[in-house]
Amino acid sequence: MKANDLPDLTLPQMLAENARSIGARVAIRQKDFGIWNPTTWAGYFERASDVAHGLRLTGLGPGGHLAILSENRIEWVLAQLGTGLSGAVTVGVYATSPANEVAYVLNHAEAEVILCEDQEQVDKVLEERANLPHLKRILVIEAKGMRAYDPDLVLSFEELEAMGRADRRRSPGLVAEVLARQSLNDIGLMIYTSGSTGKPKGAMLSYRNLRAEAFAVRDMLELTPSDSHLSYLPLCHVAEQMLTTMGPIYCGSRIDFGESLRTVQEDLREVAPTTFLGVPRIWEKLHSAIHIGLMEAGGLRRRLHDRGVAACEPFATTAPADRSLGQKLTFQFYYWTVFRALQNFIGLRRARLAYTGAAPISPKIVQYFRTIGVPLIEIYGATETTGMVLAQKLSHLEPGSVGVGIPNAELKIAESGELLIRSDVVFSGYWRNPEATASTIVDGWLHTGDVAEMRGGQFRIIDRLKDIMITAGGKNLSPSEIENTMKASPFIKECIVVGEQRRFVSALIQIDAETVGKWAEEQGLAYTTFRSLAEEPRVRDLIGREVAAGNATLAQVAQVRKFSLLGKELDHDDGEVTATMKVRRAAIYAKYAGEIEALYGAGRGGAAA
Amino acid sequence: MQAAPSDLILQVENIEVIYNKAVQALRGLSLSVPRGQVVTLLGSNGAGKSTTLKAISGLLGLENGELTAGKILLDGQDISRMKPHELVRAGLFHIMEGRRIFEDLTVEENLTAATFALSGRGLTRTPFDLVYDYFPRLAERRNQRAGYMSGGEQQMLAIGRALIAQPKLILLDEPSLGLSPILVEEIFTIISRINRQTGVSMLLVEQNANVAMAVAHYGYIMETGKIQLNGPTSRLIEDQDVREFYLGHGGGGGEKSYRNIKHYKRRKRWLS
Repeated sequence: MKANDLPDLTLPQMLAENARSIGARVAIRQKDFGIWNPTTWAGYFERASDVAHGLRLTGLGPGGHLAILSENRIEWVLAQLGTGLSGAVTVGVYATSPANEVAYVLNHAEAEVILCEDQEQVDKVLEERANLPHLKRILVIEAKGMRAYDPDLVLSFEELEAMGRADRRRSPGLVAEVLARQSLNDIGLMIYTSGSTGKPKGAMLSYRNLRAEAFAVRDMLELTPSDSHLSYLPLCHVAEQMLTTMGPIYCGSRIDFGESLRTVQEDLREVAPTTFLGVPRIWEKLHSAIHIGLMEAGGLRRRLHDRGVAACEPFATTAPADRSLGQKLTFQFYYWTVFRALQNFIGLRRARLAYTGAAPISPKIVQYFRTIGVPLIEIYGATETTGMVLAQKLSHLEPGSVGVGIPNAELKIAESGELLIRSDVVFSGYWRNPEATASTIVDGWLHTGDVAEMRGGQFRIIDRLKDIMITAGGKNLSPSEIENTMKASPFIKECIVVGEQRRFVSALIQIDAETVGKWAEEQGLAYTTFRSLAEEPRVRDLIGREVAAGNATLAQVAQVRKFSLLGKELDHDDGEVTATMKVRRAAIYAKYAGEIEALYGAGRGGAAA
Repeated sequence: MQAAPSDLILQVENIEVIYNKAVQALRGLSLSVPRGQVVTLLGSNGAGKSTTLKAISGLLGLENGELTAGKILLDGQDISRMKPHELVRAGLFHIMEGRRIFEDLTVEENLTAATFALSGRGLTRTPFDLVYDYFPRLAERRNQRAGYMSGGEQQMLAIGRALIAQPKLILLDEPSLGLSPILVEEIFTIISRINRQTGVSMLLVEQNANVAMAVAHYGYIMETGKIQLNGPTSRLIEDQDVREFYLGHGGGGGEKSYRNIKHYKRRKRWLS
C-alpha cells in the first residue's frame, strides 16, 4: 500500500486550488462550430461558481440532487462542479435512455433539478412529470424551439449562469462557505449502475473515493499536466468520470470536448490526445473500420498490411525498449509503410497510453492494436470501486490478464473465486438500498461479483460470478470467454451464449451489418435491409466458418455447436442492451426463447462447420 | 425476394454510384420489380432515388456520375453498360422528373418522336388514339405547342409518350411534382389503370407517399443511399415509422401546429 499524497482536498476544493495556483493554464477545450474554445482553470472555477449560485436560486439545497441528461460537453462538468461548489450532489443519467428508464433514475434519486441538453431530453422528463414528485426545475442547455414551454419550470442554462453571476456579485461568499465546510466524507457523486441485471442501483461516491481514485489514476496511468484527454464516453459512467473530472482536476491535465458523439472519429484526428479510453465496442468498431478500409484498398496495400501484422505480432507485447534490433527494424519498416497511416486514421498516433475497460474484450483485438503500435493496456474496475482498481503496465503486458492492483488497495481472491477489495476507492453504499449495500460490502471488503484468478502476479478476470454456466454434463463454462472469442471476428458484432443446463453450447449471433454488407457486395449478393442480410444462406455459411474458426481455439465443451442469427440489431429501446450496450441476458433469453428452443430441438439451426 | 428471378422484370444488385469520381451517392443498393407490378421507391430529398433511376436508365453520364459496382438486369439481361438510346429500344422508358417534353413541338409531334423507341423491335405502332383515350385532354390539344400547356397536361403528355414507346418497364420520377391535389389524383388513377390494362411494370419514385402507396404493390424506403425497409405496401402502411415520417400521421392524431413542432427527430427504427 502506498499512501495517497494528493492534497487533502475535495474535488471542488481542488478546483478552487487550481484556479489559484495554475489559473491561467487551459483546463478545458470545447469544440463549437469547428473551433476549439479554451477555458482556463480560473475560468472553469468562475463559471462553476456562478452555476453554484444559480442552482441555489432554483431551490437546490445542500445535499440535494441535480440530475444531468446530456452528452459530454463543457456544461456537464460546469454543472457537476457547480453542484459540488453549492454543496449538492450530481447524478448522471444516460441521454440515450428511453423516457421510462430516465424517469426511474430521476425518481429513485429524488432529483430536484434536472439539467437537460435539449428539447428532446426535456420532453422525456415532461412525459414522465406526473411520476416525479421531487422535481422543482428543469434547466436546458440548448433552448431552441422551447419558447412555448412554461418559464416557471424550464430555465435555460445561460439564464441560470447570468442569474448566478448577478447573485454572486450582490452576495458573494456562498462558495467559500460551502468549501470551508466540505469534507472528504461528504458524498460528491452518484452513479447509477447500468442495470444489466435488474433495476439500476445508485452508487454513492464520497469525495474521499474520488480523491483515492485520482491518486490511482496518477500512479498507474502516470497522468501529468502535459496530458490531454478527449472526453466522449458517457459522463454518467464512472470510467469517463475518472478521466474527465477526478484525474485531470487532481493532476492538472487538460480535457477536450468534441462537437458531438457522432464526430468522435474526426475530433480524435484533430486533437490527437496523449491518452485515450475506449470501451471494447469502440475498439471493435475501430478494428472493423480498418478491416473495411483494407477490403476496399485491396491488392498490394492489403498484402503489405497482412505481412506487417504477421511479422510484428510475435513481439507485440514486448515493450519497445526491450525489443531486439531485428524486431525494432522490422517494426520501423512496417511503421513507416503501413502502421503510421493506420494510427493517423484512428487518431491515436500521439497517444502515449490507450486503455480498454468497462467490459471484457477479445484478446485478439487487443493484440491487433498492440501489433500496429498502439500502447494499449487493459484496465478493470467497477462503479463500486470509483473506477479502475486493476491495470496492466506497458512494461509487462500479458494477453488476457488485467494486470496488477492500484497501489492504494488491498486485493484478495475469496474461496468462491470472487475478487474482494478493501480500499479508499470502495464506494460508500447504494442510495436508499441498505440491503444491497450490506451484501456488497462485508466486513470492509467489497465483493465485486467477478471471478478472478492470479497467475504470475497478474490478475485475470474469468467472468461474472452469476454468469458462470453449468452444462447438463456438469461442466463449468464462462460465457464471456466464448462470446469474446466469437466477437473477435469482424463479421460478428454480438454473441449471446446459451448453455445453462443444456447438452451443448449454442449461441444467438448478431452480424455486423457494415462488414457483412461489404462482404456481400464483394460476393455479388443482393440484399436490402439488415434482416434480408441475416437471412441470406451464404451469410449463414460465412458466420458458420467464423464460428468454426473461433471454436478451434476453445475447449471441446465450450465450443458453439449451433447458432441462430438475429433478424434485427439488439437495441436499448427494446430493453435488450443497457445504455452502455451491455447485453441483458435474462431479457434476451426470454425474448428469443423460441429461437433458443429451436436450437435444441430436432435438426434445425445452423451447425458450425 | 418475393418472386423467382424469371418473374422479375428488373433486378438491381448491389449497385454503387459515384459522382465526380468523389461523392458516393449509392452503395450496395439492391431492389427488384416483379413483372406487371408497380413498385414504389420512397425517401426524403437527397436519399438517392433519382440517382437510382438514372443508374438504371444509363443517364448518370450526363451528370458526371458513374456506376462503379453492381449489376442491373432488365428481363434477365445485363443492361449496366448499355447506352440510353439502346435501353429505350430494349423496352425501358424513363419519365424524368420535371415533365421533360419537347416544348416547341405539338402534342402529336411529341408522340411521333416517341416512336423512335419502336425502331428495330418489330412492333406494330400504337395508335395515338390509345393515348387520347387515357388522356382526353390531350386530344383537345393535339395540335397545340406542348410548351404552352399546363403542368398537368405536360405530365400527361410525358406519360403518353411512354405509352407510345410500348416499354416493358416504365421508370416514373415524381409525376406529382408541382401539381394540384386534384390533378395528382387524376394522374395516379390513370397510372394505375395503365398498369392494370397494359400490364406494363413500373418503378415509381415519389415524395407524395400517400398516393404512391395507394397505387403500388410493393415499396422500398430509402435513406442516405441505402434501403431501410421494404415490403408489400399493405404492410408498410402499418409500420409506425412509415406512418409518422412518410404518411404524416403523427402520434396523437389531429392537425399538427407549427408552434409545437419539435427541433429534434424521433429516432427511426425501421423494424418489421
